[in-house]
Amino acid sequence: MTGSRFSDRAATILVPLVFGAVFLGVWEWLVRAFDIKQFLLPSPSSIYTAVGDNWGRIWNGVEVTGGNAVYGLVVGSILAVFASLIASRWGWFSDIVTPIASGMVAVPIVSLAPVFNIWFGSTDPFSRRLVVIVVVFFPVFFNVTKGLTQVDAVHVELMRSQAASQWSVIRRVRIPNALPFLMSALRLASSLAIISAIVAEYFGGTQGSLGQLITQSAGLSRYDTAWAAVLGASAVGIAMFVAVAALEWVAMPWRRQSTGH
Amino acid sequence: MNRRIIDGALRIVPAAVAIVGLCGLYEGYRRMGIATDDQWPVIGGDLPVKTNAITMPALSDIVARFFEPQQRRSGTTVLEAVLQGSWYTLRISLAGFVMGALIGMALAIVMLRSKLLEKGILPWIIVSQTIPLLALAPVIVTWGNRIELVDWQPWMSVSLIATYLTFFPVAVNGLRGLQSPPNHSIELMDSYAATRRQTLLKVRLPGAVPFLVPALKLAAAASIIGSIVGEISIGLSGGVGRLILAYAQQAQTDPPKMYCAIIGAGLLGLLFTSAVGSLERLMPGSRHRSEMSL
Repeated sequence: MTGSRFSDRAATILVPLVFGAVFLGVWEWLVRAFDIKQFLLPSPSSIYTAVGDNWGRIWNGVEVTGGNAVYGLVVGSILAVFASLIASRWGWFSDIVTPIASGMVAVPIVSLAPVFNIWFGSTDPFSRRLVVIVVVFFPVFFNVTKGLTQVDAVHVELMRSQAASQWSVIRRVRIPNALPFLMSALRLASSLAIISAIVAEYFGGTQGSLGQLITQSAGLSRYDTAWAAVLGASAVGIAMFVAVAALEWVAMPWRRQSTGH
Repeated sequence: MNRRIIDGALRIVPAAVAIVGLCGLYEGYRRMGIATDDQWPVIGGDLPVKTNAITMPALSDIVARFFEPQQRRSGTTVLEAVLQGSWYTLRISLAGFVMGALIGMALAIVMLRSKLLEKGILPWIIVSQTIPLLALAPVIVTWGNRIELVDWQPWMSVSLIATYLTFFPVAVNGLRGLQSPPNHSIELMDSYAATRRQTLLKVRLPGAVPFLVPALKLAAAASIIGSIVGEISIGLSGGVGRLILAYAQQAQTDPPKMYCAIIGAGLLGLLFTSAVGSLERLMPGSRHRSEMSL
């Protein structure tokens, strides 16, 4: 029993690694065998070299852009969770905000970047952070509100029959029910955060950001450097994703068992 | 039937209140700032956003700007330019959306076939979404001039970005949906000696519909966002995304115009997403679902 569980867990880690290695190998081989030009697709090895050559600039970009993304993710999620708590408590608030939230999920919010640049000045990083905050806010709000309101009626009635206060219903029934919704929203939001942080940089602003490094390198035909910068952005995205997974592991201990599925 | 119309009308009321509220908030803030010279009333201190004609044009000016010519000596109004741009962006997004949905579904069916493939591919599909391909847009556009095999058009680069953002929700939700039918249904098909294809078409695909519709809605929104952002980063002209950038560069002299393009982009996203959402009614097994939805 324990043996099979161990090999299960090993397989969940090993199989993707093997697939990834094969993928990289095929990529490298294709680029070499068919002499694919660098502008089309640089080989993994040349991207790796470019990461080493431009380490300082990429790291600087990761700090600037990743900083904006993390700031926006944290602030946006906290604001969204507060708004959801209010929405689950007062129906009229949720009636008004929920249609905005479901609509805003379909709206390209990054297009607000030029507005924020004019409002706060394009040199102020807050202009770009606010884009991330708004992008993160709506999916988190939408999901968490769903989790807080779609609770088992039996649970709420049981609490009522025990003369539980509103607050204790929220704490003991609604919040535990909403946690999985929050976690899946955060996973989605973490990739949205890094993407919108970079795209906001295309509208001008800071020097030394990843977005700038990518456009500049592409403009100078340094495609391996552009890809290396994208790799830096991916590293930020993956780091945030892993952080969310770690949070999930800490916040929802009852879920740990089911990782094998 | 009547009830449904009344229900629908009632559902619009909060949305209308929300929109009126947002407009009121914007206009109220603007007028307060003008009245108090950019200070908070009573408590004092600077307002976070200065209120002047450049930072916050009046709502009435934004609405009026739609019906005025784009440039001083231009024949087209801003409204026409925004509509044309949105139509162009919609077609690019649609191409990306269809491609992405097909690729996503194909991946879901491949992963359904083998547990090993699922274990090997699914984590990478999830990781793929943390890779901001959008960031590669400036690189992808250079393919245009240099691929000789196919006649690569710049708009295809934008569609490709939309495809990349689209396939993910379809693949992940599609797989979950294909796996959703209970074991006894699959076993029943096995006992009829049904082929894999028959089980797929008759049991698994209908079972996947309730999972696919929300995924397709997400994908629709993502495809519009992808093409708008793609247009901006690539510099492809003709679409509404590029219009936002072009108008943003003229924002110092003609502020309301930028807002017109942004409003157009927002409405485009909303309309395409709700159009895809309404596909739900056409699909088999939809009755069950629409009873469940809010």
